[in-house]
Amino acid sequence: MTWLQRLVHRNRLEDQLDAELRDHFDRLVDDYRRAGVSDAEARRRARLEFGGLDQVKEACRDERGTRWVEDAIQDVRYGIRGFRKTPGFTIVAIITLALGIGANLAIFNVLDALLLRPLPVPNAPQLVTLTRWIENNPSPSFSYPQIQALAARTDLFASLCGIGTGTMFSGPPDNLEPVGAAFVSGKYFETLGLAPFMGRLLSAGDDQPGAAPVVVLAHSYWVRRFAGDPSIVGRTMLLEGQQVPIVGVTPPGFEGATIGQRTDITMAIPAQGTLQPEEDGGTSADQRWLLVVAVPAPALSRDQLQARLDVAWRQLLEATTPTRLSAEARRRALSMTLSVDNGTNGPSRLREPLRMPLAVAYALVTLVLLIACVNVANLLLARGAARAREIAMRLAIGAGRARIIRQLLVESALLAAAGTAVGVWIAWAGSDAIADVIIARAAGPDASVAALAVAPNARVFAITVLIAVATTLIFGIVPAWRSSMTAPGMLANSGRVAESHGRLAAALIVAQVSLSLVLVIGAGLFTRTLYNLRTVDRGFTPGNVLLASFDPRRTATSSPELQAFNQSVLRTVETLPGVGAVAVAAVTPLQGGGMSTPMTVNGVSTGLAEVYFNIISPRFFEIVGTRLLAGRDFTDADDAAAPAVAVVNETFVRLHMAGGEPLGQRVRISPQSPEMQIVGIVQDAVYETLRVAPPATVYASYLQTRGRPMNLVIDASGPLTEMAATVRTAIQPKVPATPMRIRSFAAQIENSLFQARLMRSLTSVFGGLALLLAAVGLYGLMSYMVVTRTREIGVRLALGARPTRVLGMVLGSALRMVAIGIIVGLPLALLSSRLIAGMVFGLTPTDLPTIGAAVALLALVGIAAAALPARRAATLDPVRAIHVE
Amino acid sequence: MSARPKSDLPQGTLDLLVLQVLALEPLHGYAIAQRLKQMSRDVVQVTQGTLYPALHRLENRGFLAAEWKASDTGREAKFYRLTRKGRTYLEAEAASWERLTGAIAAILNAAKGEAS
Repeated sequence: MTWLQRLVHRNRLEDQLDAELRDHFDRLVDDYRRAGVSDAEARRRARLEFGGLDQVKEACRDERGTRWVEDAIQDVRYGIRGFRKTPGFTIVAIITLALGIGANLAIFNVLDALLLRPLPVPNAPQLVTLTRWIENNPSPSFSYPQIQALAARTDLFASLCGIGTGTMFSGPPDNLEPVGAAFVSGKYFETLGLAPFMGRLLSAGDDQPGAAPVVVLAHSYWVRRFAGDPSIVGRTMLLEGQQVPIVGVTPPGFEGATIGQRTDITMAIPAQGTLQPEEDGGTSADQRWLLVVAVPAPALSRDQLQARLDVAWRQLLEATTPTRLSAEARRRALSMTLSVDNGTNGPSRLREPLRMPLAVAYALVTLVLLIACVNVANLLLARGAARAREIAMRLAIGAGRARIIRQLLVESALLAAAGTAVGVWIAWAGSDAIADVIIARAAGPDASVAALAVAPNARVFAITVLIAVATTLIFGIVPAWRSSMTAPGMLANSGRVAESHGRLAAALIVAQVSLSLVLVIGAGLFTRTLYNLRTVDRGFTPGNVLLASFDPRRTATSSPELQAFNQSVLRTVETLPGVGAVAVAAVTPLQGGGMSTPMTVNGVSTGLAEVYFNIISPRFFEIVGTRLLAGRDFTDADDAAAPAVAVVNETFVRLHMAGGEPLGQRVRISPQSPEMQIVGIVQDAVYETLRVAPPATVYASYLQTRGRPMNLVIDASGPLTEMAATVRTAIQPKVPATPMRIRSFAAQIENSLFQARLMRSLTSVFGGLALLLAAVGLYGLMSYMVVTRTREIGVRLALGARPTRVLGMVLGSALRMVAIGIIVGLPLALLSSRLIAGMVFGLTPTDLPTIGAAVALLALVGIAAAALPARRAATLDPVRAIHVE
Repeated sequence: MSARPKSDLPQGTLDLLVLQVLALEPLHGYAIAQRLKQMSRDVVQVTQGTLYPALHRLENRGFLAAEWKASDTGREAKFYRLTRKGRTYLEAEAASWERLTGAIAAILNAAKGEAS
């Protein structure tokens, strides 16, 4: 029989062992009987000779080598029986652990998917990405000519490609569906080392000007959209109104090389120009929109590659920098350097903005997990004290200390296992939701195709096991050790156990309070950050304003056509019912992104200082609530035939007017554009982000600049949802095949606060959780203390102590623990506040009022948690209390 | 009852003896104990507390195989039999035992020689 069989067929083995030994015994009896002694005497002698049947059996069982497993099973059974007897304790412990573990796993899963997971492609270990640096500002984006020039350097790169992402619309005009598209250069699939699942993938031949567009489907999209049709290769799909041949399918599991953006279809870069002519083809030198992935040339280390690339990049820059730039801009462009970075995880635009929030979030949930562990440790301690008698009994009848510790650790492991199981379930539900929220918000306009695959992998599984084991040890070992110290003599008296239990539990409460303080201060800082961002003077008021954007370039392509189109849309919307006022703007505040460039003021360049600009129609300022301080707003008369005029903001005046009357001075956006005369000054208004003070801004009239796609800005008098429907019905027919995006101005502002809101929610939820756990722990400990000291309190009361004094005594000891916790927690909080220094707004991370409020809150929670036990103590009946056993 | 002194078995030799006894024919536990007693002329007496764990150990290591068969008493008894693996092991152990006892005997004899 193998070891496993011996374990499984334990019962059969037991029967056989019994039969075998019984047989032996019977033979002994028979022998004695044959020797002539009486039946009873024969049995007596046989028993004497045989010795203890059970000892023999035990020795035989030891030989099976399955003893430890059987013991463990016994421990588990015993543990479960114990937990069943105390369902309240069990449920609280499991839920506490499940919340801690679940939150931790959910965040880790998202973090892993975004930051750690290697691309599921054969070449992942070799991949590198490139980053451009201009004066400490990194950017991962390159232009198409730069990609081509870099890819041509086969002495540096075995293979290099550029990847751009975007959204395409597939299907008939009345039923458009957004599709996540990757536009790639010829060596994309070669660089990744991917082989087709079906048909063929893209190659250099597809990446040629004028090449017929073809499309490669992602396996998941093929399954989702085409039901895994095996005859798909050679068929076509309707993309942006054109039938595009499907040439192949990528292998399952591959969802594109750009993490955070779903790749449903992959096409060569020139295909974008053919299908979306309004996007200027994406092949020009000043469109830097491509991420780079490359495999270095064989036998070239990353350092060697970097050194050679430094040289090569100089030459490339000279060749690919547009020549029509000003001398200053050219100098800046040429100062650009390149760094080679690890590309195993694939390039991503979401990774950098989300790295810090995710790291902070993970630190938060780890704190919460620690607090949960401490809480369960405390529960176990209390339970251990209650079980002191039982354990003393077991020790008295010969159980070893190691055996007791093992028994208690097995019970901890059981709790951890149950907590982990429920936690995994929470994480499973949670990480998808977290990923969706984080990614969709961070992705902004591309949200419809933003996606992060968070299917748990081996690393997530490993961290789950690690967490389960670590939690078992963290919350199990101290109570187990403590309980095993129980002396058998405790059977008579359990007072000393209670006392030492109290000290240890108090230490755990202190730890909880200090960890909670860190979280509560964090929650306070982010709550105030969000408040500051919402109330900062941004120079506009959202009001009842609706924003609508659409791309008219399918209908109107030339500049005059676009201008006429914008005008006609304005006229149409003006006449709609419920419209108070309407304007158009190239950029709406906080939409994410904007336009800036060095300008010339009175013929002098602003040099390195970039000035933001916006193209607007009359009444824009009035609708968004930006006050006109001097001069006038644009009017419909400021058209192409009239002299070019501009409106500037206060900061522009302060930085570039150098005293003197601003009105009447001249500003030019670019060498190609007309010189404009300043006719008005408006108050400063936030442009790209609330976190940065309003930049110097120049506004130009939409009729005096090149025609371009504009956003409608509508001041509605009625409900915005009705307004949205009205506008869609009126305008959508004018822009067939490009869906309109309509949202309220207020929503756009809130959206821009995404990171602050995320941090506020995370810290508040977890801070609240931590506080709750600490309160429960404190309440439990104080109740326990009152119970164990009932007699003493009774004596005090009998001797004339006032109930208020007893009340104060209990509250005082609770507050003492809270105070020590705060003293320990403050340095911790100050240390961790450095981590979030860049994420707070309008206050420092060591903001005194916030810290003060957090301390006060903890003190209040401490009093609240201790109030009930304290009241119980103060209202004890002295006579009864003294007689309590 | 024998008046002769009984010797404690050196560590590990019980296994060897049991295997040797079973090399002749399959036996049940009681018979093995009797046989050991007879063959050693009552010098070797093993208790149930050592015999059965040894039998189970040897069975678990694959040196013995067990089978429940009807015995002389008419009851079913567990008969142990030497396996091929057990035979190989017995031969190796017996040889090494002989080498060892030979060496010990030689040393003892030499010591006696010097003493006399």
